[in-house]
Amino acid sequence: MLIRPFGWNEFWIIVMAAQWTIALSAIAFAGGGIGGLFIALARVSDSKWPRLLATGFIRIFQGTPLLMQLFLVFFGMNIMGFAINPWLAAAVALTLHASAFLGEIWRGCIEAVPPGQREAATALGLRYYNRMRYILLPQASRIAVAPTVGFLVQLIKGTSLAAIIGFTELTRQGQIINNATFSPFMVFGTVAAVYFVLCWPLSVLARRMETRFSRATAR
Amino acid sequence: MNEVNANASAADVRGASDLAVRMEGVNKWYGEFHALKNIELSVKRGERIVICGPSGSGKSTLIRCINQLETIKTGRIVVDGHDLTAGGRNVDIVRQETGMVFQQFNLFPHMTVLENCTLAPMKVRGVSKAEADKTARKFLERVRIPEQAEKYPAQLSGGQQQRVAIARALCMNPKIMLFDEPTSALDPEMVKEVLDTMIDLAKEGMTMLCVTHEMGFARQVADRVIFMDRGEILEMGTPDEFFANPKNDRLKTFLGQIS
Repeated sequence: MLIRPFGWNEFWIIVMAAQWTIALSAIAFAGGGIGGLFIALARVSDSKWPRLLATGFIRIFQGTPLLMQLFLVFFGMNIMGFAINPWLAAAVALTLHASAFLGEIWRGCIEAVPPGQREAATALGLRYYNRMRYILLPQASRIAVAPTVGFLVQLIKGTSLAAIIGFTELTRQGQIINNATFSPFMVFGTVAAVYFVLCWPLSVLARRMETRFSRATAR
Repeated sequence: MNEVNANASAADVRGASDLAVRMEGVNKWYGEFHALKNIELSVKRGERIVICGPSGSGKSTLIRCINQLETIKTGRIVVDGHDLTAGGRNVDIVRQETGMVFQQFNLFPHMTVLENCTLAPMKVRGVSKAEADKTARKFLERVRIPEQAEKYPAQLSGGQQQRVAIARALCMNPKIMLFDEPTSALDPEMVKEVLDTMIDLAKEGMTMLCVTHEMGFARQVADRVIFMDRGEILEMGTPDEFFANPKNDRLKTFLGQIS
């Protein structure tokens, strides 16, 4: 195989691969947002079984490496006879992963709302759904913005593991280019720089939103 | 609700007519701590009860059992003819019919004063927004802060916030009002405006149970004053006999300390 130099062309191929990283992150974040809301609500439920199930789900995903979760979904589904491509496997595994983590983050935010809020709503006759929808979740969501964006940064970086099951996103594209150019410092330097460009503005945004919301609540 | 009432004895139904609250043999524990001991208490409609006692005596716990913010271990609580021990639907009905005012106000900080007052009538009673607004403004007028309707709770003083909390409870058109140390978190100069609002309410014939250390309020408004210590009701009587001639030693000590 011919070794070719690392040039603009290679640079652009890596940069363009970021779209798959973004797509995978977006799917996992959206799916994890829906799943995480259910997990969080189950965790603060009045009844025992939803609470136990959600706790179990969170413990499993927090207590195992993301890479194992990817392997289990990818190889597990194939062994069970469901032909699953790396794209779908990565999307499913990262969605489950994000559901568990966002669920736990948001549970904390719901419980950070002062207990008097729940009591006042209950005393007014509001039941679980209305209490959540009008009193607890609006207040919890203000608290949740910064840690949620913080987790999104973790999630974007976590998608790099999907390279290992053969999904061609930013990291995998870097590996492919490196195999052709043997310039690991240039290649992975570029890959890292693209991750930084994606993640850093989000970190800044999280900090801004935090100050904005804390100002709004101190109104 | 009909099924539950059908199970209740005839005496319950008769008793329901003139009793707002009845507690029979109520016991509650927090782990090993015996928070309420054999509480027996009947409150007639329109009666004003003041409950006092040292902190940790169980007085807040007692009134929080009436709308089941706290559950009891043994005994029976019947509110306006609805047996709370039967659970389920009765608890919802009782919560709709009792208003509660808390020490820390507990207004919803992300809503305006008006929204605080209209949420429950709209979502629980199914009242239209226009009607809920009208009722809310009426009660805000009555607690003398109609001009604050569009503000957020954090823009108001403590006394104003507590008056909004009273208006918010009244918007549900409750039959019984529960006050859990409503003036304890207020700066001294704001205590009077809240007490005046409560006195107005008492004059209108509202059934009230107030946990408070405001003995002046107790003398002026209460039909009966209750003294609690260590989870027990130790003395109960009209303000005259309660203050002039206390029988229990712990009550004598307590009155000596607060006056």
